[in-house]
Amino acid sequence: MAQLLDIVTTAAILYAVAAGLLIVFGVMKIINFAHGGFLTIGGYSALIVTRLGWNPWWSLGFAVVIGVVCGAIVERLVMRPLYARPLDAILATWGLGIVVGQVITLQFGREVQFVQSPVSGAMAILGESYSQYRLILVVLAVVLAVAIGLVLNATSLGLQTRAVIMNENLARGLGINSGLVRFATFSIGSGLAALAGALITPLSSVDPNMGVPWLVNAFMLVLVSGMSLVSLGVSCLVLGGAQVLVSTYGNPVAGGLTIVVLSALILRFRPQGFARE
Amino acid sequence: MTAPALELDSVSSGYGLAVVVRDVALDIRPGEIFALLGKNGMGKTTLLKTVMGFLPIRSGAIRMSGEDITAEPPHRIARRAIAYTPQEQALFQDLSVEENLALAVRDEARRRDGLRRLGEVFPFIPQRLKQRAGTLSGGEQKMLLIARALMSAPRLVLVDEITEGLQPSVIQKLAAVLKAERERAGTAMLLVEQHVAFVLEVADRYAVLKLGEIVDRGAVADAGAEPRITAQLSV
Amino acid sequence: MSKAPGRAAAMPAALRAGAARRVDTRALVAGSAVALALVAAGPFVLPDFMVNNLIRAFLYAAVALTVDVLWGYTGVLTFGQSAFFGIGVYAVGLIFTHAGFNFEYAALAFAAAVIGAVIVALLVGWLAFYHGASPLYASVVTLVLPIVVTQLLYSGGTFTGSSSGLSGFESFQIELDAWFRIAGAFLVAVTAATWLFVRSDAGRVLVAIRENEPRCEYLGLDVSRIKTWLLAASAVVASIAGYAFASVQMVVAPEYAGFVFGTELVIWVALGGRGTLIGPVVGTLLIDVSTAYLSGNMPFMWKLVIGVTFVLVILAAPEGIGPLAARLLRGGRREGPGAEVPEVRPVADAAPAAGAEGAGAALEVSGVRKRFGSLLVLDGIDFVARRGELLSLVGPNGAGKTTLLRCIADGGERSAGDIVVNGRSIERRPPHECVGLGVGRKFQNANIFDALTVAETIRIAHARVDRPSLWSRSATLDLPQAVLRVLQTTGLDQQLGTRVRHLSHGQKQALELAMVLSLEPSVLLLDEPTAGLTKPERTLIGQILVDLAHTHDLCIVLVEHDLDFVREISSRVIVLHQGRIVLDGTVAEVVDSETVRTIYSGARR
Repeated sequence: MAQLLDIVTTAAILYAVAAGLLIVFGVMKIINFAHGGFLTIGGYSALIVTRLGWNPWWSLGFAVVIGVVCGAIVERLVMRPLYARPLDAILATWGLGIVVGQVITLQFGREVQFVQSPVSGAMAILGESYSQYRLILVVLAVVLAVAIGLVLNATSLGLQTRAVIMNENLARGLGINSGLVRFATFSIGSGLAALAGALITPLSSVDPNMGVPWLVNAFMLVLVSGMSLVSLGVSCLVLGGAQVLVSTYGNPVAGGLTIVVLSALILRFRPQGFARE
Repeated sequence: MTAPALELDSVSSGYGLAVVVRDVALDIRPGEIFALLGKNGMGKTTLLKTVMGFLPIRSGAIRMSGEDITAEPPHRIARRAIAYTPQEQALFQDLSVEENLALAVRDEARRRDGLRRLGEVFPFIPQRLKQRAGTLSGGEQKMLLIARALMSAPRLVLVDEITEGLQPSVIQKLAAVLKAERERAGTAMLLVEQHVAFVLEVADRYAVLKLGEIVDRGAVADAGAEPRITAQLSV
Repeated sequence: MSKAPGRAAAMPAALRAGAARRVDTRALVAGSAVALALVAAGPFVLPDFMVNNLIRAFLYAAVALTVDVLWGYTGVLTFGQSAFFGIGVYAVGLIFTHAGFNFEYAALAFAAAVIGAVIVALLVGWLAFYHGASPLYASVVTLVLPIVVTQLLYSGGTFTGSSSGLSGFESFQIELDAWFRIAGAFLVAVTAATWLFVRSDAGRVLVAIRENEPRCEYLGLDVSRIKTWLLAASAVVASIAGYAFASVQMVVAPEYAGFVFGTELVIWVALGGRGTLIGPVVGTLLIDVSTAYLSGNMPFMWKLVIGVTFVLVILAAPEGIGPLAARLLRGGRREGPGAEVPEVRPVADAAPAAGAEGAGAALEVSGVRKRFGSLLVLDGIDFVARRGELLSLVGPNGAGKTTLLRCIADGGERSAGDIVVNGRSIERRPPHECVGLGVGRKFQNANIFDALTVAETIRIAHARVDRPSLWSRSATLDLPQAVLRVLQTTGLDQQLGTRVRHLSHGQKQALELAMVLSLEPSVLLLDEPTAGLTKPERTLIGQILVDLAHTHDLCIVLVEHDLDFVREISSRVIVLHQGRIVLDGTVAEVVDSETVRTIYSGARR
């Protein structure tokens, strides 16, 4: 039973981390390797909130704002000149991730630090005593998924974004400014990454390189999910579940590698991964 | 005299080093239906793409109602009361009929009016608003394209081979729709076509494109036009 | 005194080519000698701290070279060379720690390093380079590799030393100064060998793969296998560097196999100059030595500087700092001169491809269907074509013509049906194997290898028949008559040294044709060969095609929209409409057909 809860909470966390990356991938057709850096920025935003003594729930909003602003700057300065060179764009985002890590180290130091959790303690659920914060994360992830779904399916910007994802040239021919859509998507995606960072730090800690292991898992999940957020949910459940089971019944190291190795193998035999077509 | 709805002034363009369209000059008057004819591979689609800004122009200029649009990006051109129906992949197959229309006509009120008006001509559209566009038949998809183009009440419509693959009855219907719209709103139209009968029915003037150059032009109503056009387009 | 003019002209060309090759080798020998001399003298001149650092830097530079060959030359962005370095490192660490040190164990460790590297490389190659893999997926796999390796090391307990690694084991009794010379010599040797390889005829194939991989598959090259073996060779070099490294340091740790190191290698190559050889070597040496000096004082600032420089280089000077500096010094953009021009010689016409006789069918298509999702593009295509026929496929857009050509050239394309070439079914074979059966496909867009010269391009196209050398540049180019004919008729034989990007559109189309003919096909598939050509160019191509069909007995299938062209040269016309054959007959029959007129112009007479 604890396993089931672990699986669900792990899937929720993975989803929160990977959702922003998936949207950026869909619109810009590249994997944003700076996603890990934005995750870290989110984590350190939460640290700032802790240091300022504010209510820890503020860290979520604060992280989003910082993430969106940083994302907007990066999109204009770095991504825009590289629209025509996707592989180089991937490298540039990798470089940015490194830059973020170093700037944070210079500013905050290298040590592992701790952030105050908005909610602590355990609660009784389904006959088990389980961390309250982890359970709340599940709720938040679901809220996030619904919110993203609503924006994409019920707003004009969301419709334009889906159009650009499907066929950018056709969208432009209908008057959609795809440059603006890319800008908005990247900024929001960065905000989501920062939000995820703020969400996950109470679970462990912050350090300048916290984003990297999450990044690798996130982009494997994105590759396996194709362009669909629903498919991402499925991947998070299946692969996250596999990770939990391997960690529990096998050994933790193999568990850490599960998502990555399984995804590579799945893609080898079915390049579209879990996506429908 | 009012400025032409569209004016091409010695336009040349192509792909890479290939020059596909050479020194094309033509003008379309407001409220006129103009047919651009030619066999496959002669440069018609390339010309449309150049007008819409998808291909860079090598030399010459393009003007819409007197304004120079030569260097504008496609989305800016598309917002100038101009509607473009490309030949391939012109609809978002995975979006609903309603969503496809919403992308072209962002303003809700205009969309409602347009839907009312065109829903009478194409009754299947209001009935299938929520359906995925990819589930419509080929003919229905083309009709939806025309509806989408006309719904925004544009001043100029560029249509790339709309009759291709359609049954004669549908082609008749489209001809009537286009003429009616021109009567009602004075919309100018540039139809890229290979279907001779359709052109004879609908167009006012025409030009024939061969190997990227205009080799013949005139009014459709002229005595010698029909045999000339037919000869130039047949096998 | 009257030699045939051709031979007289040919002599100086061969001499020139031979002379150029000798100059190259001499430059290589001279350069290597100087480098070795510097390496030998180094320990006498440099302070100890520097000697120590440079040993490490030399070995890193050798690994950086492998990254450069994979990425800069072949287009495979790899973050995983560190994993192979780590294999060499841990071969030493594990064996010297747990077994001990003597000559046998040292040899065993060396063998383990090399064999381990090859096995892992073959596995990675199978995973990442399969036919149809996307470059993104391949790079992701190379990133996953060092992660997996380090995690395995972390979980190895006392056997691998886990996160602390292994240390204090006994190793070779060699002075630091001697190690300096060994490492330096290793770097010089690797650089020299790499230099010979990338400048050889086989090296040009790598560039072709980088520029247009699908095109290479249709030229009969087994790209998956080439990349995998290249990876294996690179892995061995990296592993040997790791072996030396661990032997000197006598400390091994998982970081040496990790992806941080792997990405640092990519950064050094990007900064130094990808696609050049000196760039990554110098870049690595400079950066690594600087890091050693500056790291003490301001480690994170330095890393930040490197990171920012890296991003700036990607944005503004993607070729790298080295080439940028060289370009500025040279005063503006000027490409290196084209390679020396080889002498072209005719080869006696090869016997017709396997099993085909004059009268046998060259191409049999039965019941071929192709589905894209729910759309049926080809709905049961049946026809037979013979050698000497010039068959044109016509039909409105979307009729399935290009799809049909694709199905004939790639066994994996069709959804149903069978295709037999010269009596052998293509089954599900990938494009490069279909080329082996005798199919040559010329693409619609003349999108070839911009960075190569005409001669290099044709040599690669002929590589299946005439294997290119791995270390030298041949002074001659032996080609079949058909190719020579095309080159001479179109004037390309005067442009052998010109880089492809400088050719006109018409010349590129002609080069495409020459490339396809170099495959020595029996079935020639042409997709819109006259697209974008002027009238005189069309007439020329038309004559060449008729000649190829009649004199060289090829079976030619062409897709065309220019119906005048079709009328002039075809012996037979097939009309496709909505995925089906509507008419199959002579030009006269098709031209007069009512059906065809209806399809095309919608007019009723």
